[in-house]
Amino acid sequence: MDSFTYVNIFETKGLEYLLLLCFWGLFVYLLKYLSTPDKKRKDSKR
Amino acid sequence: MNNNVAINASFGNLFRFFIQELKPRGPWLTPFNIISIPVILVGLGILVYRFIHGLGSVTNLSQETPWGLWMGFDVVTGVALAGGAYVITFVVYVVGLDKYHGIVRATVLNGLLAYCFYGGALLIDLGRPWNAPNPYIGNSFGFSSVLFLICWHFLLYMVCEFVEFSPVIAEWLHLEKAKRFLKKLTLATVVLGITLSILHQSGLGALFLMAKPKIHPLWWSEFIPILFFVSSIYAGLSMIIFEGTVSHKVFSHLIPEKHHHHFDDIVFGLAKGAAITMFVYYFFKALLFIHDKQWDLIADGWGLWYLLEVIGFVLVPALMFAFGFKHRSLRIIKIAAVMALIGIILNRLNVSVIAFNWYSVAHYVPTWQEIVVTFMVIFSELWVFRWFVTRLPVFDSGH
Repeated sequence: MDSFTYVNIFETKGLEYLLLLCFWGLFVYLLKYLSTPDKKRKDSKR
Repeated sequence: MNNNVAINASFGNLFRFFIQELKPRGPWLTPFNIISIPVILVGLGILVYRFIHGLGSVTNLSQETPWGLWMGFDVVTGVALAGGAYVITFVVYVVGLDKYHGIVRATVLNGLLAYCFYGGALLIDLGRPWNAPNPYIGNSFGFSSVLFLICWHFLLYMVCEFVEFSPVIAEWLHLEKAKRFLKKLTLATVVLGITLSILHQSGLGALFLMAKPKIHPLWWSEFIPILFFVSSIYAGLSMIIFEGTVSHKVFSHLIPEKHHHHFDDIVFGLAKGAAITMFVYYFFKALLFIHDKQWDLIADGWGLWYLLEVIGFVLVPALMFAFGFKHRSLRIIKIAAVMALIGIILNRLNVSVIAFNWYSVAHYVPTWQEIVVTFMVIFSELWVFRWFVTRLPVFDSGH
């Protein structure tokens, strides 16, 4: 019989939770990364 | 009697002033004119033919594929690209970041013209264009249709953008009192405009909710409205970067020197906003992909096309925006803006045209006439935009 199993990561939406955890982790890192630009400027002339 | 003479004289002066302003300025034989004038003339000819002989005479549209390039590019894509106006007015007037004030006028003008031309292009795609005013005049409002919301929002938003832009017109006509009065209306119209924008940007996505059986599952989702709204934010920001860069080259003689230097800082700020928004959008897409268990769908050509759109034109430009901001590289940011715009065009065309009826044997391919008319709409908008910026104080910050 096909039944629901709590150890199947696809059935329990485990992947969605993992992805959301990754998102928040990376999002905080991105905000920190973008909080201060490098002082050295590569190309400012147009 | 004296009053009548004075009024007639002032109307006469105003009329002469408008006639003077309508006359072309600058050289005629420019690369842009050489390309755009023939395209506009041929496009107008095609439109005359279309209105005499019907849609089928110049398009590959059919009962199975009623929406083609005109709807997919002009309306669905064009409105997303015009999203910069509501984003930048929110940032300036609601959040209070005055740094971006210098680009408000040009962005609002761009948004207003985009809605006039791309929304107006809807009329050429309607089989019975004379029915277009029905949702407004009450001859069958159609409350239950998403199009009812979109029709009213387009109209009201165009009015809002016109009011937001009207102080520039008053300044051009030297009507100081009117300008002061119109400026007082700005905040209220900005708030109303942002509300309308959020709803109709997502409303355009909601149009496709009912087409679930027709759209490829990789592009259909019950969250299309949210995806359309979020992507319109970075589409608008990328469009401002692209349009601003081109304007600063083409109209450099009209832009005050201090604005030239200031624009670089503005671009960095916009890039930061675009990076964050695209990152959020990318994870929305990834979450939907996993939630809908679409692993099996990426093995074929459609899957690769989807990955190209989502990774190549969302994730990669998002990282480029972030890298360009961090390392102060305008070149990387400008390339990222172009890639993000290509990504938006791909996404909107995929949802509305390319992945629509994806299972069909005879797939829709636009005719050359549809392509010419699409370019005609774009060039016409650019002509009007050029007319405004060369006559009105569009590049002044208004302070």
